[in-house]
Amino acid sequence: MDKQVFNIMNLDLYYGKFQALKNINLIIEKNKVTALIGPSGCGKSTFLRVLNRMNDLIDDCHISGEVYFHQEDIYREKFDVIDLRTRVGMVFQKPNPFPMNIYDNVAYGPRCQGIKDKDELDKIVDNALKSAALYDEVSNRLKESALSLSGGQQQRLCIARAIAMEPEVILMDEPTSALDPIATLKIEELINDLKEKYTIIIVTHSMQQAARISDNTAFFLTGEIVEMDLTNKIFTTPKNQKTEDYITGRFG
Amino acid sequence: MSMLNKRKRIDFLYQGITYFASSISLIALAMIFYFVWSNGSGLLNLDLITKDYHAQYYNGELDENSPFSTMERPIELDENVFYSEKYGLGVSDGIDREGNPIILVVYVSSDSPLRKMQDRNSEQIISLEEDMLISKVSFNDKATALRTFGAKYMIDELDSAVDFREMVFTSIGGGIRGSIITTLYLIGMTMLVALPIGVFTAIYLNEFAKKNRMTNILRILVDTLSGVPSIIYGLMGLAVFVPLTIRTTSATSGNLISGSLTLAIILLPVIIKSTEESLKVVPDGLRQASLALGANETQTTFKVVLPSSIPGILTASLLGIGRIIGESAALIFAIGTAVKDDISITGKSTSLAVHIWSMMTDEPANIELSSTIAVIILMIVLILNIVVKFISKKLMKPLA
Repeated sequence: MDKQVFNIMNLDLYYGKFQALKNINLIIEKNKVTALIGPSGCGKSTFLRVLNRMNDLIDDCHISGEVYFHQEDIYREKFDVIDLRTRVGMVFQKPNPFPMNIYDNVAYGPRCQGIKDKDELDKIVDNALKSAALYDEVSNRLKESALSLSGGQQQRLCIARAIAMEPEVILMDEPTSALDPIATLKIEELINDLKEKYTIIIVTHSMQQAARISDNTAFFLTGEIVEMDLTNKIFTTPKNQKTEDYITGRFG
Repeated sequence: MSMLNKRKRIDFLYQGITYFASSISLIALAMIFYFVWSNGSGLLNLDLITKDYHAQYYNGELDENSPFSTMERPIELDENVFYSEKYGLGVSDGIDREGNPIILVVYVSSDSPLRKMQDRNSEQIISLEEDMLISKVSFNDKATALRTFGAKYMIDELDSAVDFREMVFTSIGGGIRGSIITTLYLIGMTMLVALPIGVFTAIYLNEFAKKNRMTNILRILVDTLSGVPSIIYGLMGLAVFVPLTIRTTSATSGNLISGSLTLAIILLPVIIKSTEESLKVVPDGLRQASLALGANETQTTFKVVLPSSIPGILTASLLGIGRIIGESAALIFAIGTAVKDDISITGKSTSLAVHIWSMMTDEPANIELSSTIAVIILMIVLILNIVVKFISKKLMKPLA
């Protein structure tokens, strides 16, 4: 069985003339939680958006190097981006449920792929909400607006929405930075459960969070990966002085 | 201390300016309402908005087969009403707007033979109704009873004669039903054309168009169009849409279609602009979330972005409808100024605003009726406003 989900080789990324990512080489392992840490503006979110090609939306963004998703180069010509995004889901920093009811939010992705059968959609929605640990809280109000949920519930709804597509990978861009500690804890527990089935890549500003939930950690600084290793190695015996400075809070 | 005092004085000055400015706009609005209401409320009644503008003339004669019976005078009739038991007819004297005497029909019994007369010109069955005017009654064996002889004389003559040869009667004109219907037609037809085109143009500009020179030029064009005086659109309507509709339909002059198309062109920049504004405020996070779920751009636009901007589009529609109701200069050319009662979309007619214009260009100007029409226009705008607010609140509920 293929253990590498993503294999990134010699990746450079430019916004216009500004180089945001420099020579990134990284392997993302299956069913592991990989944390991307680093100070603001170091390129970790940009890197995350490379993996589902969300950077395509930015006009003057150029890329060189190779990004393999399984054995496929996702930046080759005529690559099916829509298909990639159904297999690589994403959860954003700010909870962004659609202004529809809870059910329609979760069913949105499958519907866009042409699933119309009501029983099938019901099943998908139920399963996704259960997997996102939201089912018990919303099962009796699926037709209510998603915006009536609390911030933490909204973020779990966004996770359920991503899960409904049955992706292989879930990208999370600081998913708890807009939430209170209790909601954060719930999301972290959820991530722990989800890694059984999914490969998770999470950008986080919280060192404790990275230490708590991730298996591997990559430390980014000014567009480069300074160090990449098992999480407990990074946090106990970092090889690089800059990594040590950052995780001990001397800068960043 | 002096710094604090100076600060206070400046604050007071700035606040004073805002109070002053808002009270001026409030006073101006109140004055408009006061002016049209004080001038126009006198004529405001249901007849005005349900009746025809042009008086209809009828030449009626009795149906030979219709039976005569004695119909008792209803007790609710006023003392100054003259009543004929033979015809079940009650009439009273009055004067019209020019001061001429008239004979007003106050009551016609439902069994009256006057309800089923034959038109001498068209052989159709016609009916004398309440609120009509009788001009004259001609008899076979004696002199004609004219309206100038009064109501009592006419009733006496009717009762004393066996029957009559001809009764000439008219409906009261001056109603604005036709112009109201024309205005409603204009609103419907214009929105039918302008709303889809405007909304889809805005979607193209905001969601799909690449940021290049072509889209820039298109934007500048839209901005320029919204600043063009409407009378220039009217000229265009006269030069393009009127000949076009004459060639393609049964129309022979300016008509509702040419008027609607001209208004649609006027509205396009308004609708494009405000729809674009409402699309712009849809958070980018929603677009990204949709795309990240594997939806394509079209799905994202029509399933997520467009529904979120519906309140804005409704506001755009309201602005558009307000513009349609208020427009007169362009319509004078594009549809014409003929006040009509029978409205067809290829025929002549005119909107309420142009109706005011033609009342005021009459000699003498009819300020009273114009003000009444203005009151009605204000009411329509008010009702539309409330309806749109209500709908957008209903639509916003699942979103909020």
